[in-house]
Amino acid sequence: MNLLISLRSELLKTRKASFYLTLIGAAVGPVMFLLNVLLDENEIDPSQKDPLNAVFKILSDMNGTALFPLFVILICTLLPQIEYRNNTWKQVFASPQTKVNVFLAKFMNVHLLMLLFLIATHVFMLLAVVGINFIKPALNLFEHPLNGITVLVNAANAYILSLAVCAIQFWMGLRFRNFIVPIGIGFALWLSGTIMAVQYKSDLVFYFPYSFNAFPVSSKLKLQLTQVAWTSLGYALLFVIVGFIDFRRRTVSK
Amino acid sequence: MNNSSIIKTKGLSYHYSKDVQTLYDIDLDVERGSIYGFLGPNGSGKTTTLSLLLGLLNNQKGDIEIFGVHLHANRINILKKIGSLIETPSLYGHLTAKENLEVYREVYGASKARIAEVLNIVGLEDTGKKTAKKFSLGMKQRLAIALALLPDPELLILDEPANGLDPAGIIELRELIKTLNKTHGMTILISSHLLAEVEKIVSHIGIIFKGKMLFQGTLPELHVFQQKGSRLLINTSDNDTAMQLLQEYDPERDGQGFSVSLHDQKHIVAIQRKLIQNNLDVYLLQPKGNDLEQLFIDLTTAQ
Repeated sequence: MNLLISLRSELLKTRKASFYLTLIGAAVGPVMFLLNVLLDENEIDPSQKDPLNAVFKILSDMNGTALFPLFVILICTLLPQIEYRNNTWKQVFASPQTKVNVFLAKFMNVHLLMLLFLIATHVFMLLAVVGINFIKPALNLFEHPLNGITVLVNAANAYILSLAVCAIQFWMGLRFRNFIVPIGIGFALWLSGTIMAVQYKSDLVFYFPYSFNAFPVSSKLKLQLTQVAWTSLGYALLFVIVGFIDFRRRTVSK
Repeated sequence: MNNSSIIKTKGLSYHYSKDVQTLYDIDLDVERGSIYGFLGPNGSGKTTTLSLLLGLLNNQKGDIEIFGVHLHANRINILKKIGSLIETPSLYGHLTAKENLEVYREVYGASKARIAEVLNIVGLEDTGKKTAKKFSLGMKQRLAIALALLPDPELLILDEPANGLDPAGIIELRELIKTLNKTHGMTILISSHLLAEVEKIVSHIGIIFKGKMLFQGTLPELHVFQQKGSRLLINTSDNDTAMQLLQEYDPERDGQGFSVSLHDQKHIVAIQRKLIQNNLDVYLLQPKGNDLEQLFIDLTTAQ
């Protein structure tokens, strides 16, 4: 109950800016797709067997490898920054909330936004597909039904594979007063992780959290998806615990 | 613990780094229903003490009891009954006044109607959709006080609440504090580096300097303390001779002349007579700055 009250408090603090940021982030993929189709006649091949599921696969690849991890790095870092930016940590700690509730409420807030991103991006994609179907009925986009299970599994993979990065960035977001540092570190690690996974020259990718999101698009690494999903969960748990221990020690000095 | 005490600390000490001690054995005693002025120059340890009372800093040495119970064993329950404003206002700039209060409303278990009440108390009921970042400093300070009042606290801790307020704002704040104390029965602990700022409203005073409590008591007790420390400034044609003549009054060099202790106004006449009888010309015979402000300055500079 107390945790829910703390969560409500966190949602009220961040609902405006983070809500719009999430929707904008979620719209990037579908908008890019829409523009491609409108500007490039050959973006979707009408002769393709199942164009509807093919376009959702493109979205899931684009989101899973780049857009979603980058969003996670941004949101996990920026959300805890709200207290630094407004100089409000002392009010948070002087209020009758336990540190564990404050920490978990902030972490849950991040996850709600991650889930909102995944839901919104698929809704936007669906709207984009409906729009294209009206503009270009010859494509016969709805000739085949959408494979909902595959869409769900792909989205779940993107979410689970991002958990480790989320926990690490969340910890850094709480720790650093200057948000540029954790975001810079996050982006640099994501870029190196993705390059490492694409090239796949070392088994290090199985232990480097910033590589995990590239696994579903790599034909060589795809087979180890379940293994890295568990590794991601393990890292997430580890860094949540480390992050909380660090957070619990925190005092508000002058 | 004294039953009337709402805050009692014993031997409270704190250091930010090992070689710099910030607080030394602070024994604070704030009585229920009082307005306690916690005074000291900047950097004397006021904010550190108040931060310890709110659990913002970990207690290193000493005991803190609030509402008769130990702070660390009952921190959450204690904080539910405390409203606080530590230094600068802690507000979310992108939210309106109402939204800022709504963030903490359920945390403190306050009703929705309480938001309108506290905004009314601080005169911010008509700010509408204006976000806090567009508020003047005075408005921000008032909103921070509204936030402190949200839980309808038994104890209000205000750290330098007049910082950044204009004279009219300071007068308003004083009236508000008096009303909250008298009408709502709140105990108020208010810190300041200016005695004049709080002298008119406080019932009790604690003076801290370089991390040590120099005085603690009621306002009348401070006046008695002040009388004991009164001095008379004297300047004559031969100050060395005059100081020898007035040995019994504990003379001390002071500027161009000297000063002697003054426990009774009748002594002024006796001193004047003695100097004239010894053929000394008296140029100055004046009680030294005999107000609380002077006492505060004396206390905090004599150390």
